[in-house]
Amino acid sequence: MSDNDTNDDEVRTDGSGGGGIVAPDDETPTWSERKQRSQGLSRLTYEYFERARREDQDLRQQSDYVERDVLAFPAWPHEMIRNLALTSFFVGMILFLSATLPPEMPNPANSAVTPAIILPDWYLYWSFGLLKLGPLNPNLAILGGAKLMADRTYGVLANVVVVGFVAIVPFINKGSARRPVEQPFWAAVGMAGVIFSLTIAALSIKNLIPMDSHLLFDLTFLVPIVAGTITYAVLKTMREGYMFDLNRRYYRLRPPK
Amino acid sequence: MADEFIKGFGALMVGGLGWMTIAGWYRTPSFEGAQLIGELPPAESRTVFDSMAIAMMDVFFWFAVFGALTFWVLIPLVGELREYLDERSA
Repeated sequence: MSDNDTNDDEVRTDGSGGGGIVAPDDETPTWSERKQRSQGLSRLTYEYFERARREDQDLRQQSDYVERDVLAFPAWPHEMIRNLALTSFFVGMILFLSATLPPEMPNPANSAVTPAIILPDWYLYWSFGLLKLGPLNPNLAILGGAKLMADRTYGVLANVVVVGFVAIVPFINKGSARRPVEQPFWAAVGMAGVIFSLTIAALSIKNLIPMDSHLLFDLTFLVPIVAGTITYAVLKTMREGYMFDLNRRYYRLRPPK
Repeated sequence: MADEFIKGFGALMVGGLGWMTIAGWYRTPSFEGAQLIGELPPAESRTVFDSMAIAMMDVFFWFAVFGALTFWVLIPLVGELREYLDERSA
């Protein structure tokens, strides 16, 4: 190292000319490549990434730098430039659509009249659907066929059960898998949950679904089970040939020097 | 290959967005009924600009379809074919 640093008579092929960009030996560009990069945007891009690479290399050579298997770019400027590009795209899209396709402004709501169809916002349909589980409320023979609780109480309790299950999942599975194939069962549980959230939302608007409501009620619970089973089968098949070790090594952090 | 993908995707998005915009102007008579594929305004009531926009609507639509097909199907197919022919003649 010290030899190279002091020997200035050495022929330089990296175009640095004492300072500036430094290319690694095995990645030294050819003369035609250098010519392509000699001006304009290509030159700017080349210098930019060369400098970023050099900064990364310097950081790695410092002893207190924890080298990671996961390579990443620094927040400034790499991530910020990318975020700026994404933000510009979405802001431009909002401006374009709001200018060219303004939505219809319907009549203001009349607060004196109850609307014909009462529904919560779409993201609460699943909870609204859980209030309609009356048919699952068992008639107990011991009570002479009476129900233990009213259907509406049952629906509220169903909300508690579902939210409780969602809250418990992180405690019974720590989420160490990086890919669904690594834990097919839990991936199947998640898939069934996602599908159930959709079917229970469809159940809540059963007046609007062109289907027999009893069939819809049965499908609400059968489709998630079928989807979970299919997910499990597919992921179990995909396990063959999956390199668990490679994945684990990729995400493990090396200890500091 | 990635270049061909983004070219086809760009054609699809630009054509789709242009078609959607003009169809929103001319083929959405009401938000209650058919949107983007509704009735066109009658030909006698169109101005020159309306006719141009309606023509552009079809241009955008087919640009989206043929652009994506060209870059995702046609050009890779030609490349594969050329490679195959080169291999066979070599």
